[in-house]
Amino acid sequence: MKSHRNPHTESQQEEWRKRNKTVLTYIAAAGVGMIGLSYAAVPLYRLYCQARLGGTAVAGHDAEKVESMTPVKDRILKITFNADVHAGLQWNFRPQQSEVYVSPGETALAFYKAKNPTDKPVIGISTYNVVPFEAGQYFNKIQCFCFEEQRLNPNEEVDMPVFFYIDPEFDEDPRMARVDTITLSYTFFEAKEGQKLPLPGYS
Amino acid sequence: MSTAMNFGNKVFKPRAPDKGAFPLDHFGECKNFKDKYMNCLRENSYENSMCREQSKQYLECRMDRQLMTKEPLQKLGFKDLLDE
Repeated sequence: MKSHRNPHTESQQEEWRKRNKTVLTYIAAAGVGMIGLSYAAVPLYRLYCQARLGGTAVAGHDAEKVESMTPVKDRILKITFNADVHAGLQWNFRPQQSEVYVSPGETALAFYKAKNPTDKPVIGISTYNVVPFEAGQYFNKIQCFCFEEQRLNPNEEVDMPVFFYIDPEFDEDPRMARVDTITLSYTFFEAKEGQKLPLPGYS
Repeated sequence: MSTAMNFGNKVFKPRAPDKGAFPLDHFGECKNFKDKYMNCLRENSYENSMCREQSKQYLECRMDRQLMTKEPLQKLGFKDLLDE
């Protein structure tokens, strides 16, 4: 019986087999590489966005910007206000308005009120939070009452102003297109004398 | 399970105010201006754009009484009120 094996084609077939194996190995490697890339894309994208966002956030704090910015009159944002007091602090602390309507690029004033109903002076220190998170980078406080100790004497009540603006670039951010309410929350803590809240970059 | 591009593990970083903290108005020296501003807000459905004159007056009161560093009002975003 004649063998179907042809010595001339046998080596060729072997070569093809080897090449096929190499090609398959390359394809498999490429496949694994692509899967790996798609996993890496998420943290890489985040890093890129952090770098970009970091740049935008820093750029927003200039007196020149405040002087030259123009309000985006056709965009109205509702700013709502929250007030909280940490359990150890016996102050009455509340916002004096539940909301204010502003346009990006327009400076605005809002008030909180704090009262020390005890018969001893109490020192408080506050921090704040902005929701939604992504809108926080556009929320710029020109002046407020946070991060520094505030001392209220017994039975003293004071007005606490916040002077702020929403960066006009807010209106150009597609992620903010459907955001129409921003909530500002302040929380007061009792401060021990000479205490400072640890904050990055605050002198 | 959160969405793929979620920034949920990023913590909100509060930023210090540009010009620092307002000293407390312990003696209520500018309370009248504050009341005028708040009344204006109430009468205008809390629209800040309608009450900018009052907010400017409140800040001017503070500046006059050393409760705020004196600043040209344009730098506080009031240049439109000054041009009038």
